[in-house]
Parts: sequence; structure tokens; C-alpha cells
Amino acid sequence: MIGIVIEALIKSALIAFVLLTAFAYLTFAERKIAALMQVRKGPNRVGPWGLLQPAADGIKLIFKEEVMPAGADKVLFFLAPILTMIPAIVIVAVIPLGPDVELFGRTIRLGITDLNVGLLYILAIASVAVYGIVLAGWSSANKYALLGGLRASAQMISYEIALGLSIIGPIMLAGTLSLQGIVQAQQSSTWYVLWQPLGAMIFLIAGLAELNRAPFDMPEAEQELTAGYFTEYSGMKFSLFFMGEYIKMVAVSAIATTLFFGGYLGPFVDKLPWLGILYFAIKTVGFLFLMIWIRLTLPRLRYDQLMAFGWKVLLPLALFNVVITAVVIVFVG
Amino acid sequence: MSDKDSLDNMPVNEVASDSLVARFDGEVRSDTREGYEGYIVDANMLPEVASVLRDDLGYDYLSSVTGVDYIDDNHIEVVYHADQTTGGKGINLKVQLDRENPIVPTLVPIYPGADFQEREVFDMYGVKFDGHPNLRRILMWDGFHGYPLRKDWKEAYYEEDIKPFDSRWPGGGVKRSEADNPYGKNVNYPPGFDINNWTPETDDSLYESLEKTNSNGKSLHTDSIVVNIGPQHPSTHGVFRMVVALDGETITDLQPVMGYLHRNHEKIGERNTFLQNMPYTDRLDYLCSMSNNLGYALAVEQLMGADVPERAQYIRVLMAELTRISNHMWAIGFLLNDLGAFQTPALYAIRARELILDVFEATAGSRMMCNYMRFGGLARDFPDTLRGEDTVKFITDLVDNTLPKAIDELDHFLTANEIVRSRCIGVGVLPPDKAIAYSTGGPLLRASGVSYDLRTADPYSIYDRFDFNICTRSNGDVYDRYLVRVDEMRESTRICQQVMRDIPAEGEIFSGKPQYSVKVPAGESYGRVENPKGELGYYVVSTGKANPYRYHVRAPSFVNLTVLGELCKGHKVADAVVILGSIDIVLGEVDR
Amino acid sequence: MLPNIPELVIFLVLAVIAVAAALGMLASSNAIYSALFLVVNFGVVATFYLLLGAPFIAMAQVTVYAGAIMVLFLFVIMLLGAEQMKPTSHNLLWQKPLSIVLIILLLSISFYVVLGQGVSTGSDLMQNTSGYGSPSAIGTLLFQKYLFPFEATSILLLAAMVGAVVLTGVRKQRRRIRKSRRL
Repeated sequence: MIGIVIEALIKSALIAFVLLTAFAYLTFAERKIAALMQVRKGPNRVGPWGLLQPAADGIKLIFKEEVMPAGADKVLFFLAPILTMIPAIVIVAVIPLGPDVELFGRTIRLGITDLNVGLLYILAIASVAVYGIVLAGWSSANKYALLGGLRASAQMISYEIALGLSIIGPIMLAGTLSLQGIVQAQQSSTWYVLWQPLGAMIFLIAGLAELNRAPFDMPEAEQELTAGYFTEYSGMKFSLFFMGEYIKMVAVSAIATTLFFGGYLGPFVDKLPWLGILYFAIKTVGFLFLMIWIRLTLPRLRYDQLMAFGWKVLLPLALFNVVITAVVIVFVG
Repeated sequence: MSDKDSLDNMPVNEVASDSLVARFDGEVRSDTREGYEGYIVDANMLPEVASVLRDDLGYDYLSSVTGVDYIDDNHIEVVYHADQTTGGKGINLKVQLDRENPIVPTLVPIYPGADFQEREVFDMYGVKFDGHPNLRRILMWDGFHGYPLRKDWKEAYYEEDIKPFDSRWPGGGVKRSEADNPYGKNVNYPPGFDINNWTPETDDSLYESLEKTNSNGKSLHTDSIVVNIGPQHPSTHGVFRMVVALDGETITDLQPVMGYLHRNHEKIGERNTFLQNMPYTDRLDYLCSMSNNLGYALAVEQLMGADVPERAQYIRVLMAELTRISNHMWAIGFLLNDLGAFQTPALYAIRARELILDVFEATAGSRMMCNYMRFGGLARDFPDTLRGEDTVKFITDLVDNTLPKAIDELDHFLTANEIVRSRCIGVGVLPPDKAIAYSTGGPLLRASGVSYDLRTADPYSIYDRFDFNICTRSNGDVYDRYLVRVDEMRESTRICQQVMRDIPAEGEIFSGKPQYSVKVPAGESYGRVENPKGELGYYVVSTGKANPYRYHVRAPSFVNLTVLGELCKGHKVADAVVILGSIDIVLGEVDR
Repeated sequence: MLPNIPELVIFLVLAVIAVAAALGMLASSNAIYSALFLVVNFGVVATFYLLLGAPFIAMAQVTVYAGAIMVLFLFVIMLLGAEQMKPTSHNLLWQKPLSIVLIILLLSISFYVVLGQGVSTGSDLMQNTSGYGSPSAIGTLLFQKYLFPFEATSILLLAAMVGAVVLTGVRKQRRRIRKSRRL
């Protein structure tokens, strides 16, 4: 019993550390990739190739003044960034990073836990993740922020449904809600993206919308709402929002990898289980690159177009996908 | 012989003169002062004359409204310039008003485009436009005391009427006005004004005046939100403010507020000598300094009757067209930014623009503040080499290959993009009649299907020698404005190619001798060019002294903004930003 | 049969939080705070479901109630600008005595049920739940045993949704007609 608790604590700490580092270097990677795609150089002053830029940014943000707007609701204004941050981190708990390994005479699962309702857990956490944004928007006493908060709540509710429906395909194929189970099921068949191309597509699109990433970055649309819900934030609170967003990016990429791209599966994983983590990381990074690429390429949709797309295109498609999958499973097997 | 035939055979101005003077006998008379033309109209007859001018004589486009303070004759003149969108010379009307109590009927019902310009005249001269729907100050702040462009208004630390000031030249010595500022009284206050007991005026009345659809109380009551977009905002292209009333995300009313960058360009211009204004025009639309120069040079050359050598004419056209390309590159790039694209299209567009700026830098010495044209020519000729290449070869290569490729690239990536299309098509539609009525200009006007371009409508410089098309589109939405800009860039490269083909290899670039202070005979002139953003006009009045008596800039960005509120109603917040981007403003020119 | 100690402790702590959140929701004068207290309450209740070995219902509780419905509540509160409740107006004074009566009624019914059924039934239930809360068990129950009520409920919800759409749609149309007449 105690052993399990200690193991879980160590793994949690490790994963939290990895996520925070990933956040820092994801911002750096995004800036560097943006620069390369835009005929620029990007950050190159701090450390070799600018590699220490995230550290410098972090130090800067810590020492920045924390501004509290005059009309703000102080409690919620303080709480909102934390509420954005926590779901982003805890969602990673159920994602399997590799097969079980032997270490110090113990069989250790790579991944914090494996719930038998893992996917539902992800959906549940994703659905409460919107609170941070909505409350930040409301508590700032700023109209841009309020509009950003309103947009966020409408958008995230709308796309959550398509997101939920898109993961039903893998659930039906694997016959389980556990992510470990889904990964193992893909070992016997193939990656589910081949069986579920439409589902994977919908998951990615809805995932981008859930993340508020371009081209669905309505709640923080710079050109319209300056910075949307975090207009009034500064210093560490501001960076918490950023952290939340980027860690969510990692999480969504990891989930997409797990559900549709075989998770940690790859050649020789059965013999060298540690390779699983590497495969998993490579696939996740691929998705992260895709997200950055999309952001640098596409203009933003308009708010009403986004809602129309979500309800009139994505949702019917997702339903259609579920029906087709069910029919195929029942009649073809 | 019908009436129409006889009309056709006469020069436009004479037709107008005959009809106007005959029809309003005694109330309209020709302006017979030395160096002046146009007609002087009785103030109370102005609306009728304007109606006749618009409906019977075809002057449907009110280009400019401005004022002149003739303090010695004790009257203020309001000057109107009107044009026919079918082309031809313009016509100008003047109304002479009493300086103590200047009142003139507004022309907004006849030409809605007069709205902001009349407000500007009110702001600067205190002329009251009777019946104007919204006669408030527009560039100065509401609490400002006095009318700054009146000749008897002196700014704080006023020294003299004319530069160079004696304290600095010829004796030398530097005196900084800033040194006077910190604890000094550098503002004129109204009599009896106490700064300590004064509370700033709020914008409550402005907020109140906005139309909010949901105030009827019958439907479900949602909060109507009034949002200030700007003056500090990423997508207002400068310190510009839009006061927006929102119902949810839908705009029910929008009022532009400007003047944050106001430095009274015209007052300073009237202190400067004629030539000192040349670099100063660079700062108007700082993306198009070359064509700003050209417009001002044309206005003063009209007064001087100066000739421009052949080679200089070609170089002028080349520079103006390169400016158009670079401006449209900028406009399109940043329109995409306004659409939410993360800088990538903007930076690709700017890449080609850098080469144009290289040309400017090599010839004029500066990339953006070119200060290149002179009265009667240019400051200097092309250098021999540019970036290690022969200059002519560099420019020829630029206009033959690089620029067309860059334009094709933009076209290829952007025009068919699904999101660009869905965001732009049908947004901010401006029907042609409204486009003319609101005095819009440039791509904004031509995207609505009005084929009006000063380069062909009232050709200046040597534009009549080149073969090019006026690009128009018919829908008048944001997408068409974008397409018109792309087309115009293509036409501009064609003009540039012809310039490089036909330009005389040798020749003078400046007639007359370079001098600090030019002799400009007394009179008025309205020099105008088709700037990338629309019609840029300079109304210059000279009294024969070293500095212009009146120096007015008809700024296309400023006039184009008149229609902004109209365009945005019923659209979403995101659209307002895009519509503003598609109008393409530069605040240096709006606020002046 | 004694419940194990850690579980009891967790239950007690959570129970206190649940009751406090419920009271906070009632007492708070700011609608946003009320809604948030309710969210906390839903979260705690979801944890109770987890303790009872019903993870599916726990997750559904969070997703549907805390995630979707309360966000919509917040959305409406923010959109209408109705955060600050006005002090109770006097014409609602009759509510106070009525509420007391209703509370007494509710409490007595619950006591009757809990005491009347006896504690043993509860543990019986717990013993029978080896597969009770699992998604497959719930799915089987819903789509086989309770198929008709399930479908009837969904049709009812659909009708309500269509009704809402129709009602708001009609209002908008009327407004449009009124506008065109004015023009």
C-alpha cells in the first residue's frame, strides 16, 4: 500500500517536472519554428542558439509586477489561473507512456494510473477546464476579458460534444474505456487512425478548438479582444495561463497519440520496453509541430462561423462516424 | 442641335460656369482674384447650388472641404472641391463668411462624405455647419480652447509667423521647446478656467448617442455592451479608437474617434517655408512618402508654373508606382493579420517590399522618409550601383521578375484560401452610390465598381503616356478590396516596366537652381495624386511670401473613415477589425 | 461490518465540504459565487460516487453537471449581467414560512426512508455492486432493461430543445418584421 503511494508520488512529481520543462521549451520551439517559417531568425541571444530564452522569460515573468485591476473580483481573479493550470496537469495522469517495466525488482507502470474509465476521466477534466477561462474573463472587470470568457464558454461546450463523439470510435473498437486497454488493442489490430480516419480528424479539430489554439483562438483573439480573457493579467498569473495552454497542447497531443496512433507502440517495444517512451514522445512532438504549423498558416475563423462549423458540420460528422463504426462492428466484426 | 451636343463640346468648367452663374444670378459669381479660380457662392444658397452641381452637372463626388482664414479681409472662406466620377477637371466653390460668427449650411445631406471634413473645419476654424448631425471637435480634444488654424490663434511659446525663427537662424543656437515645458503654461485655457477644480469631460454623451437595438425592453433583455476598441489596441493600426455598441457580438453602432496623433500638421506647414514642407509630407502617410512628395510638388509647381524635366517625370512615376506596390503589400499582409493569421503572410509580403525600400534608400537616402521630390524635379538621380549591381538593371529585374513573382505568390496562397474567403466575402459591403456619396477613394471606391482613378480621370505627371487598366470589382466587400489591391499591384508593375523601357538614359532631373526658399506667386492651387489609399490632395494658398498662407492636406485615410461606422453596422466585432483593415488607414495621415 | 477507517475519514471531510458548499450557494449574494459553490458541491458528490465504486456515474456527474450545465449557467449569468442579486422584495415574504415547512417535510421523509429501510440494506447494496457502476453494466441496464424510459426521456428532451429553438426563433422574426415596418 505504502509502496504504491510512494511510487505514484514519484511518478507524479516526475511527470509534472517533465510537463513544465516541456512547456518552457514548447514556447521556445514555437517561436523558433515561427521564425523559420517567416523568414526570420527568432530568439538567438540568450545562451547558445537562444536555448536559455525560456529561462530568461521565466525569470522576467516572476519579477514582473502583478497588477490587480480596480474593479476586479479579487478571489476569483486570483483563483482563475490556478483553475486553468490544474486540469491541464491532472489530465495527463491516465495516459500510458509505455508498457510495464521492471525496476528495482518492482513492476512499474509507465504512466501514473490506469483507470477503467480513463477516457471518461479525460472528458470530465476537459469539461471543467473551461472554468479558469470563464472566471478570468468575468473577474477581470474588463469588457474584452468578459467577451473572451463568453466566447470560451460557448466554444468549449460546443466542441466538447464533437470531441466526446470522436473518441467513441476507438472505444467501440477496443471495447474498453481504459487508455492502456486501447493502446494494447491497437497492438493486435493496427493504429486506429487507419480504421477511424474521420474520427481522428474530428478529434484533432475539436481538440484544437478545446485548446483555443489557432484557427479557433476566439477567446484570446488578439486582433479583436487584445488578449481576451487574460487581458488584465500580468506576471506569474499571466504565465500560468500560458502554462495551462501549452500543457494542454501536450496533453491533447498525447491523447491523440494514444487513441489513434498506437500510443507507445512501435518496433521492438516488446523487447525493450523503455523504447515505448521514446516512440510516444516522438509521436506527441509530431502533433505539437502540427499545431504550431497550423497556427502559423491559417487565419482565424469568425466566432459565429466557428459555432456554425461546430454544430452544423463537426457534430453531424461525428455522429455519422459513430453510426458507421457501430454498423461495421456489428455486421462485419 | 440639341442642348446636350452643345454641352459636350464645351470644356467642363465653362459648362458649369454658364449654368451656375446663369442659374444663380448674383448668388454665384466667378472668383476673379489673381491666381484663383472657381466660384464664390452665397452661404445660404450653398445647398441648392450643391444639389444642382451634383444632380444636373454631374459633380457627384465631393473631394475636399476646407477653410482659409483671410484675416486681412476679415472673412473665413470655406472651400469645396467637387469632381465628376466620370472624369475631368474638378470644380471648386467657396463660401465667404464673417469671422466673428461664421455659419454655413451643412452639405452632409447632399454629400455625406462632407461629415468628417466639416467637423474638421469646425474644429480648426470654428465655422458652424448649420444642420450637421454631429458637430463636435474631431481632431482636438473636446475641452480645447480656441480654433488653432485661425491666423490670430497663437500656440504656447509662439515666436514668429514664419520659419526660420530669428532666435535660431541665421545667428545659430539651439533652443528646445521642451525646455520650456515642464512647469510652464503651455496650454491656452478658456477665461476663468481653473485647472485644479476641473474634472475631465467624460465620453458619456458619446456613449449615450450610440444606437443600441435592445433598449426597447420588449425582447429578452441582454446587456448592450459599449466597448472602446482603442486607442491602445493591436488592430487599430495606431492610436485610433472605435467606440462600439455591441449586442452580444453584433455591432449595433460604431463611432470612430481620432486625433490622438494630431500635431496640427497644417499649422506647422503654414509656418514652414514651401520647401520645408517637403520632408514634412513624408510623415503623413509614412508608408507612401514618395507619392506624398509628388502630390505636394504638383500643387506648388502649379502655382510656380515650373517645368519638370523628362527624366525626372519618369522617375517620379516609377517611385509613385513602387510606393503603390509596397503600400498594397503592407495593406494585404496586415489585412491577413487582422484576419488572425499569425504574422506569416505579413512577413512574406514585407519581404518583397524590402527590395523596393532598397531602391528608395539608394536613390533618396532614406527607406521611409524619402524627401525626394523638389519643385521642378528631384533631389538626385539614381546612383550608379545598388547592392553591388547596376541600378537600372536592379530595378528592371525587380519590376520584371521579383515583384510579379511576389504578387503571384501572395495571390496563390491567399486568394483561394477557404478561411480568407469565408471571412471576407460579403463583409462590409459598400454599394457604388454610397461609395461615391461618402467620398471614399482608392481601392475602397474601385472595389465597389466605380472606375474612378485620378491617374486617368484627371491625369497628372505623365500618366497619359502609359498603358494600364483601372482595376475595379463589383461587390464592394472586403474580399473585392483585397482583389483590387492585388490587381493594382500587377498594373503598377506594368507601369514600372514601361517606365524602365521608355526612360531617357541621360538627362536633367531638376529644372531651375536648387534654392532654400522658392518664389511662389500668389494664388491657390489644388494638387492631387491617386495615392495608394485614395485621393491625396494639397490645397495650397500663396500670398507670394516665403511660406504658404494656407496648406491643407486632403488625406485619403481620414476621408475614407467617414464610411466606417456605416460599413460595420450589423457585423461582428471581428468583422469591424477586418473592415478597418480593408479600408487601410495610416494614423499619421488621419490625425495629421 | 465496519467501513474501513480511511474511507470514513475521507467521507466525513467530503461531507463537511459538501454541506458547506451547499450552504455557501444559498447564502452567497453573488450569483457567480452561488454557481461556483454548486460546482464544488457537484464535484464532492462525484467523489462520493467514486467512493461507492461507481466511477462511471462520478465522471458523468462531473462532465454533465459541473462541466456543461454549470458553465451554461455561468454563461447566462454573465451575458445578462445578473451577478448581483437585488435584495429580496417584500412581495416574496410568504416564501419564508413556506420554505420552512418544505424543509421539515423533506427532512422527515428522508429520515423515514433512511431509518425505515435500515442500514443493512445499504451494505447489501454495497455487496451487490461488484459490477454495478461499470460502464458496461450501466449500458446494459439502460439499453436493455430500461430502454423505453431511456428513449422516452431523450424524446422529451429533444422536444424541449426544439421548443426552445422555435420560441426564440419566433421572437427574432417578429422583431425583424417590426423593424421592416418601421423602415
